[in-house]
Amino acid sequence: MKLFARQVCALVKLSFVELWRRNDIFALVLLGLALMVPLSMATPFGAEGASRYLDEMALLLVWGFSLFIALGTGQRLFPPEFESRTIYPLLAKPISRGRLLVGKYIGAVAASWSALAFFYVLFVASVLLRGGTFAAELPQAIVLHFAFVALAVSVSLLGSLLVSASANLTLSALVLVGMFFFGRRLPEYAEGLNPALAWVVKTVYAIAPHSEFFDMRQRLVHGWGAVDGGVLVAVLAYAMWYVFVVILLADVVLNRKRV
Amino acid sequence: MSECSDIVQLEGVTRAFAGTKAVDGLSLKLKAGEVMGFLGTNGAGKTTTIKMMLGLLAPTSGTVKVLGGDPSDPHVRAHIGYMPEVATYYPYLNARELLAFYGGICGLDAKTVRLRADSLLESVGLADAAKRPLKTYSKGMLQRAGIAQALLGDPDLLVLDEPFTGLDPLARIHFRELLRGLKERGKTIFFSSHELGETELLCDRVAIMKKGHCVYQGPVKDIAGDGATNLERLFLKTLEEAK
Repeated sequence: MKLFARQVCALVKLSFVELWRRNDIFALVLLGLALMVPLSMATPFGAEGASRYLDEMALLLVWGFSLFIALGTGQRLFPPEFESRTIYPLLAKPISRGRLLVGKYIGAVAASWSALAFFYVLFVASVLLRGGTFAAELPQAIVLHFAFVALAVSVSLLGSLLVSASANLTLSALVLVGMFFFGRRLPEYAEGLNPALAWVVKTVYAIAPHSEFFDMRQRLVHGWGAVDGGVLVAVLAYAMWYVFVVILLADVVLNRKRV
Repeated sequence: MSECSDIVQLEGVTRAFAGTKAVDGLSLKLKAGEVMGFLGTNGAGKTTTIKMMLGLLAPTSGTVKVLGGDPSDPHVRAHIGYMPEVATYYPYLNARELLAFYGGICGLDAKTVRLRADSLLESVGLADAAKRPLKTYSKGMLQRAGIAQALLGDPDLLVLDEPFTGLDPLARIHFRELLRGLKERGKTIFFSSHELGETELLCDRVAIMKKGHCVYQGPVKDIAGDGATNLERLFLKTLEEAK
């Protein structure tokens, strides 16, 4: 157990260093600041109520940035190790492939969460500076967003072991963003289709990661109130189950991969 | 560590890729404290053999035992140090951070890693560059960082893939002395190389591979006599005869 903890700790540190020493993250942080700071100062049309649209815009930016970081971090876990051949000295050490996979996943999630926490600090600051307040549902929204990031990293990690970087990033983003915006409408859409197409749409609905479950932006912006605790637990359980299955599949793929 | 004196035991090992045998019926033994040079032309099966010795590849047939166990077992690998032929490592880390990372993977505590890292960086001549990012290192410096990470777990067996590649003459002498020191400390060393002169200067025994077959195994002292060209002659003659 001590060995596992030390190995995971080393992999988490590596993920943090890798994420925060990359130039593109600095670009993203600067972009975040450049967009959030004006939002914090704006008073649109002099109308107080209009500030909720600014909140919505800021939250959408936070979601976009977090998805970008989660997919990028998941994608960078293994392919660069194979390309630069660092995978050989790593696998020659006393660590199994399964443990390496889990350690790297935990590291990537922790690093992505650190970036997400940073963006939420910016968001909260932008709201407070505008004189706004927070609804009680903010902690729930943040918890679900963190769960979504953990799920997105796992999807990207699995994809990185199966297809090229560009294909993985495109497909993962398409699926996650597609489900985010259209996921809840798929069953309704399937009803109007012929049986074969309806089956395809229903299968996609059953298999694809339900990003929309984690989105509480509207509740947060319009003050619709917190969701029931049971619903929150169910969504978190769904995220954990989905991540477990995806990581299990990634483990199978990694163990079959020839180095 | 294994009770038997054979640190590495390969018995009739074959590894095929899509029907092509990269290694064919290889049998090889390496005793504790021995230094063995593993020679052969490009594509002879040296790296495939090394990967099987590290448990990175499973043999298609035959048995591979390292330190008395299966090298795919992480407990066995805890006693093996490996330096790959070409590795860029993690460009955004410095040498100290690299060793701290690998130390964590080996399960070493922070204090032990710090002490070993200091001593290793000193012995490979990287103490002054320890805080520089690896992306600024020359090829020779990366090789030295590579040997440092291989030695971090204080392994019984050291497996080096083309360790002299990219080293300038001074670094080569330094590296040779480092390996000699390890030999004197009783470490078992197995290295593949194209550098026949270095092999002759360092090794107790050599094995020569050609197209997946081991065509020669023997002690270096049997062929030594009038300098480094002996091994070169033997190498060329063996490959010629193996046609």
